[in-house]
Amino acid sequence: MSRRVPAALTALLTAGLAASVLAGCAPADDERPLVVVSTNILGDVVDRLVGDDVEVMTLMRPDADPHSFEISAQDAARLRTADLLVSNGLGLEEGLQQHIDAAVAEGVDSFVAGEAIAVLEYASGDAAGTPDPHFWTDPGRMIDVVEALAPRLSALSGVDAGGIDAHVDAYLAELAALEEDMTTAFETVPAERRALVTNHHVFGYLAERFGFRIVGAAIPGGTTLAAPSAADLAGLVTAIEENDVPAVFAESSSPDRLMQALAAETDTHVEVVELYTESLTASGGGAEDYLTMMRENTQRIATGLTR
Amino acid sequence: MPHRSAPLTAMLTLAMLTLTGCARAEADAPAASPESTGHGAVARATEMSEPPLAVVTIDPGGTVRQLDLLDESVAELGEVPVASRASSDGRYVFADGGDGLSIVDSGRWTWDHVDHFHYYLAAPNMLGEVPGRGPATVATTSSSTTGGTGVFFAESGEAVLLDTAAMSRGELVERFRLEVDPHDGLVVPIGGYALVTQPQAGVAASVSVLDEDGMPQPGATADCADARGTVTTRVGAVIGCADGALLATLVDGGVELERIPYPAGTAAPPATAFAGRDGRPTVAGPAGDQGIWLLDTRERTWTLLAVDRPIVQATAVDDEAQHVLALAVDGRVLVIDGKTGVLLSQTGPLVADSLATDAGSPTLIADQARAYLNGPAEQVVYEIDFADAARISRTFATPTEPALFAETGR
Repeated sequence: MSRRVPAALTALLTAGLAASVLAGCAPADDERPLVVVSTNILGDVVDRLVGDDVEVMTLMRPDADPHSFEISAQDAARLRTADLLVSNGLGLEEGLQQHIDAAVAEGVDSFVAGEAIAVLEYASGDAAGTPDPHFWTDPGRMIDVVEALAPRLSALSGVDAGGIDAHVDAYLAELAALEEDMTTAFETVPAERRALVTNHHVFGYLAERFGFRIVGAAIPGGTTLAAPSAADLAGLVTAIEENDVPAVFAESSSPDRLMQALAAETDTHVEVVELYTESLTASGGGAEDYLTMMRENTQRIATGLTR
Repeated sequence: MPHRSAPLTAMLTLAMLTLTGCARAEADAPAASPESTGHGAVARATEMSEPPLAVVTIDPGGTVRQLDLLDESVAELGEVPVASRASSDGRYVFADGGDGLSIVDSGRWTWDHVDHFHYYLAAPNMLGEVPGRGPATVATTSSSTTGGTGVFFAESGEAVLLDTAAMSRGELVERFRLEVDPHDGLVVPIGGYALVTQPQAGVAASVSVLDEDGMPQPGATADCADARGTVTTRVGAVIGCADGALLATLVDGGVELERIPYPAGTAAPPATAFAGRDGRPTVAGPAGDQGIWLLDTRERTWTLLAVDRPIVQATAVDDEAQHVLALAVDGRVLVIDGKTGVLLSQTGPLVADSLATDAGSPTLIADQARAYLNGPAEQVVYEIDFADAARISRTFATPTEPALFAETGR
């Protein structure tokens, strides 16, 4: 019975196609080991650790959503030829997980960052009790990940282990400096004001590391702001007043309109600040690499809360 | 029920016959092309920082328009055959003319990750028609990019499961098309499965669990007398039965069926339609002329709210204040406290003319912040701030009668 093509057959066809494609396009002289990385944040970190000895292929493009990004059949096939597969784990890569699982089932060596850290669970909401995958907002946890990953990279065949160790030491020093700078910057924020009133959902680890409260708030959207009333803004205003903060950290398509509505309807004067969350940006976007993203967010939070 | 019933065996045979037919139809359809999507993003869609909300109207001539609720622009999306009913999952709009189902992809949707949401905007697309005879009842899941979409044609007795991922790529692909005895039936998708009603003497009497290929799952059936009305909540898929709700949930990769009976001794008629805000556990439906049934699918409880006048529709916002909204026969929108049943506020008689003259289908839809209502005879779309004394926050005049109505981007 030939109804839909069964998954196994698809895999077979894909593998066959991939083999022919790869035979046609892979540069014959690139004998370097291949590390395939799922997210662009981890892709940047791995890039910094391996130098030129290793080919790093990052599946998630800049400015994408790690949960739902899709990969091509060619990328899926390439993933199965990796010498090491690096993923975030903890349920982050929903759209990619089937490809990761298939590659691991075929024997591809895999490193899952979420298995190298102390995991936090979401504290509230429908996801309460499930693991929070956004560990990178805490540089200390990124240090844990790098320390666990480093021996796996230097064990790749054909690499200069000493060279990788040197890269790793240098990057760990940069991460330690980042952590120290974040601590210093956040110390300028009075303890009672260390609250992120936000609709961003990724800052649980940062909050735990640096002593912030996360105050989840519904941010009024465009349909509300088109004809707002004080009642529409009451929840957000309460969160702002209870935490005495001069800034809220919100993803909003019209932050200016939100600020104006808060001022006009409730005489609440706050800055609406956006943060980088789950993806690095393309060049020129302000968060081209992990360290830059973290430093930019740190500066925006510290400045916003000390206005 | 451990034994396989006779109708189910018959259906299995039919399934196999029918599936052979499907295979040919699929071969003619354009091939799915995952290779064409670049990596790193959802193909051909732009991620937005908030829901790209819009309302879709269909006028009596079949012209489909989409009104962007953020910039207030209006786009004409195309034409569908004249339709008398419409429904939507927040992305696709299903227009039913009684002789086939038209599907429009609004190009706007919200991806629910449970811990947070992502919002997408893409080009709208007229997806075409699904053939079948008689009124079509549609059932959807909370995902507009994965799983299945169920369609049941009452007169031809055809139970169809569409591939939602294919719809998101612009194709109508049928996972299965089964023939069962004609009745006012349902196909309700859940995970990799679908619930299909089975009739006795022409009325839905039980529900069977099938896989995506239409193969019955042994032992997975439940009685559901006079099955009518369905909705999918954060918890699972609901089907209304004469004596309660059938709740299907995904447990360890399989479907578990459980019954939520009405409170003992209730005299109120059962709910035969359910509506609520996407991603929330509580839904509402009219309890005949006795008020509103609230069904909390997380707590597995029914609550009856008395209302001081007859209503035609009800929907649960399920926000912190537990707002429940209803459209009364006098054309007013009622805002009710779902905890106490107290009438908090009401609008003027917004669609009294439409209801009095049976013009089009006034439809009340709620999202987190606002409710929307079309007035076909009034030629207007209302935006209602239910949390602020049922204030009319915006009014949009429409160029033609907005007979059928859906909110998209949710």
